[in-house]
Amino acid sequence: MPLSIFLAAALAACAQKLPVDEGRLVIALPGAPVSVDPRVATDAYGEQLLQMTHASLVRRDAAGNPVPDLAERWESPDPLTHVFHLRTGVRFHDGRPLTSADARYTFEWILDPANRSPHRALYRHVAEIGTPDPRTVVFRLSEPFAPFLSTMVRGIVPAGSPARGYTPPAGAGPYRIDDVSPDGEAVLSAFDGYYAGPPAIRAVTVKFVPDSNVRFLELKAGSVNFALNGVDPDLLPAAGASGRLAVEEAPGGNVTYLGFNLRDRVLSDARVRRAIAAAIDRESIVRALWKGRADLAESILPPGSWAADAGIPPARFDPARARRLLDEAGYPDPDGDGPLPRLRLTYKTSQNELRRRVAAAIQEQLRQIGITLEIQSLEWGTFFSDVKRGNFQIYSLTWVGIADPDIFHHAFHSASAPPDGANRGGYSEPEVDRLTEAARRETSREKRREMYLRVQRILARDLPVFPLWVGRNVLVRDRRLTGFAITPDENYAPVAAMRILPAAAASAGAGAPR
Amino acid sequence: MRRYVLRRVLHAVPVAFGVVTVVFLLIHMLPGDPVEIMLGESAVPAQREELRRELHLDRPVLAQYGEFLSGLPRGDLGTSFRSREPVLREIGRRFPATLLLAATSVGVAVLVAVPLGVLAAMRKGRAADYLSGVASMVSLSIPNFCLGPLLVLLFSVQLSLFPVGGYGTARHLVLPAATLGTGMAALLTRMVRASLLEEIRKEYVTAAFARGLTGRAAVLRHALRNALVPVVAVLGLSFGAVLAGSVITETIFSWPGIGRLLVQAIDARDYPLVQGCVLVVALCTVAVNLATDLLCARLDPRIRYE
Repeated sequence: MPLSIFLAAALAACAQKLPVDEGRLVIALPGAPVSVDPRVATDAYGEQLLQMTHASLVRRDAAGNPVPDLAERWESPDPLTHVFHLRTGVRFHDGRPLTSADARYTFEWILDPANRSPHRALYRHVAEIGTPDPRTVVFRLSEPFAPFLSTMVRGIVPAGSPARGYTPPAGAGPYRIDDVSPDGEAVLSAFDGYYAGPPAIRAVTVKFVPDSNVRFLELKAGSVNFALNGVDPDLLPAAGASGRLAVEEAPGGNVTYLGFNLRDRVLSDARVRRAIAAAIDRESIVRALWKGRADLAESILPPGSWAADAGIPPARFDPARARRLLDEAGYPDPDGDGPLPRLRLTYKTSQNELRRRVAAAIQEQLRQIGITLEIQSLEWGTFFSDVKRGNFQIYSLTWVGIADPDIFHHAFHSASAPPDGANRGGYSEPEVDRLTEAARRETSREKRREMYLRVQRILARDLPVFPLWVGRNVLVRDRRLTGFAITPDENYAPVAAMRILPAAAASAGAGAPR
Repeated sequence: MRRYVLRRVLHAVPVAFGVVTVVFLLIHMLPGDPVEIMLGESAVPAQREELRRELHLDRPVLAQYGEFLSGLPRGDLGTSFRSREPVLREIGRRFPATLLLAATSVGVAVLVAVPLGVLAAMRKGRAADYLSGVASMVSLSIPNFCLGPLLVLLFSVQLSLFPVGGYGTARHLVLPAATLGTGMAALLTRMVRASLLEEIRKEYVTAAFARGLTGRAAVLRHALRNALVPVVAVLGLSFGAVLAGSVITETIFSWPGIGRLLVQAIDARDYPLVQGCVLVVALCTVAVNLATDLLCARLDPRIRYE
């Protein structure tokens, strides 16, 4: 590396002060937001940035329950009407006070076809938005839609805000966006007029760092001091061993699963699907590849969700049973211990390194029961297109950001085949159709929960998909940063509650690494 | 010469046309639907159709191609599907960063390679020659995705000399330029050495020695100039490789350039943006090749503008 050495010698520079010493929180995100306007942003990075800057009518707690944000309370006098009462004294970043007109404007803007918001379909049940007084917003729906409250987690912007590409509209969140450059970084500063009081950390930079090794190196160097799920499991021990960094983990909410194509002659037999499930040793994969940082899942609903069924018996690793099931299904072993397989199947996955290694582990485990698995690791656009078109036998994906159990209608109702939903495997079960339809219209939380518990039992029996695990949320941060509560949905709003400890207090051992 | 330049510029038109056509066909043949990627799975069919109509994706591919071509003379590269901004503005925001990175790495590579190559040629078979040979082989053998993190580990994490990534100051430029330029510097060093050794054997150099010139004067004043002609030609040809290498380097160093933009555009199946990026890169490569041809002619009068 002659050039490198030459350059280093030519450009000697002194060690610089770290951002944390200057009171600055530097967050690394794995990608840049496509949009910084809550009315159009659909990408995860855009939404995570906006969670710090734009307040919504309601927020979600760790179990997915709506809790007050800009609306201090709400009621539903009938299944078609939702009334929100706004807080008093809320101001936007530009100083304007929040009124019901702003909330109405935000959602009417989304619903206006001319604005082409990708969120429009989410609010298709909204027939009318009324503002009887400046503190009250009334949504009237065209039909009962139980998940409605969970769709109200959408940043409110001041009435009349134009949509201007990469220039964010004002919000009412704890931080304001001072500057954002595409593919570069976003610079945020504390908003003193925030209704819940100004945040303690005054300056935040959000850096967009696509390379996972580099994110880790930035943390090591101190130029980044906060990364949520930004470090590969392999590198976490090294991060924990560093004196300056702390590693924290908490339950996650994104369920990874195997999807089966039920239109396939072989996989349409539930015994084959059960055999595959029994042949996969999830625990050893989690231990070896995830370094233990994932919890086994028995449903595609995050385990912390209010509608999750904790009573589903876990799928047990039992290769003998898997072989028996294959025998019963008519796929006997042709040559005992010989090389000939009972079955050949293909498994599609993305090019993500961890997913490829998981695929290889599953391939080996299925080989033990006589199934030869051909792995196809495809570029994302091609892979997802194949999955949606039903061009697969088995695929693996992760459900991200499930906010409401209505996902069961989206993923398993017989009318939800792509492009109308995500029932990609062609699952059809009248009982599931009936229950997911009824639960949509049911306003009683308790009754809805009962219905979803039954749906989950049926899915555990039929196995149209095999839930694998939920990755734990892992935060790597500077030891001096405290106060961030990790939520299953990787929400960045708790950044507002963070503080920077004085250097001496941190060295006394705040935040033990795990 | 003016006629030559004009003719070469006109030659660029079919090249650009060919590149754009091939890219247009390839990206439309790729599986994956921009509308589905943009709207996600929660969208209703009517919304998809609406967006498809709006992006003109409901028209036959040939009509879309014609539409794209007809915009080109006006400098209209279309509108990005993803950001809804004009493609030219998107590229304009990222291109200066890539140009700065590419020009710096090529410039530094030349500054390092020419003295090293001359030294190796003049000290052929001695320690300096072997050292530069080994250093070149090592540098050429390390791929950018490996060299980049290694440089970061040494100069940013251990020595805290340069920032790990980002864009803005001269110090941000050092490590990405070193990553991108190292392989090229190594290649050029070997080229300069080989080319110079060939020149030194020629009669005019022997004659220069016979006239009493010192070895240094004969080599630097006479042989080097001629030795540089093939080096400059390679330099022009490898500029395309530098732009291609910038895709990886920009990702490693979070550098907001056109390489990263192109990868994101392909992932999102943002057809207009992909076409725009490729067109700009192709035109750049054509322009650099023209510039190097002119430079070669300047260096060696035997090369005629024909």
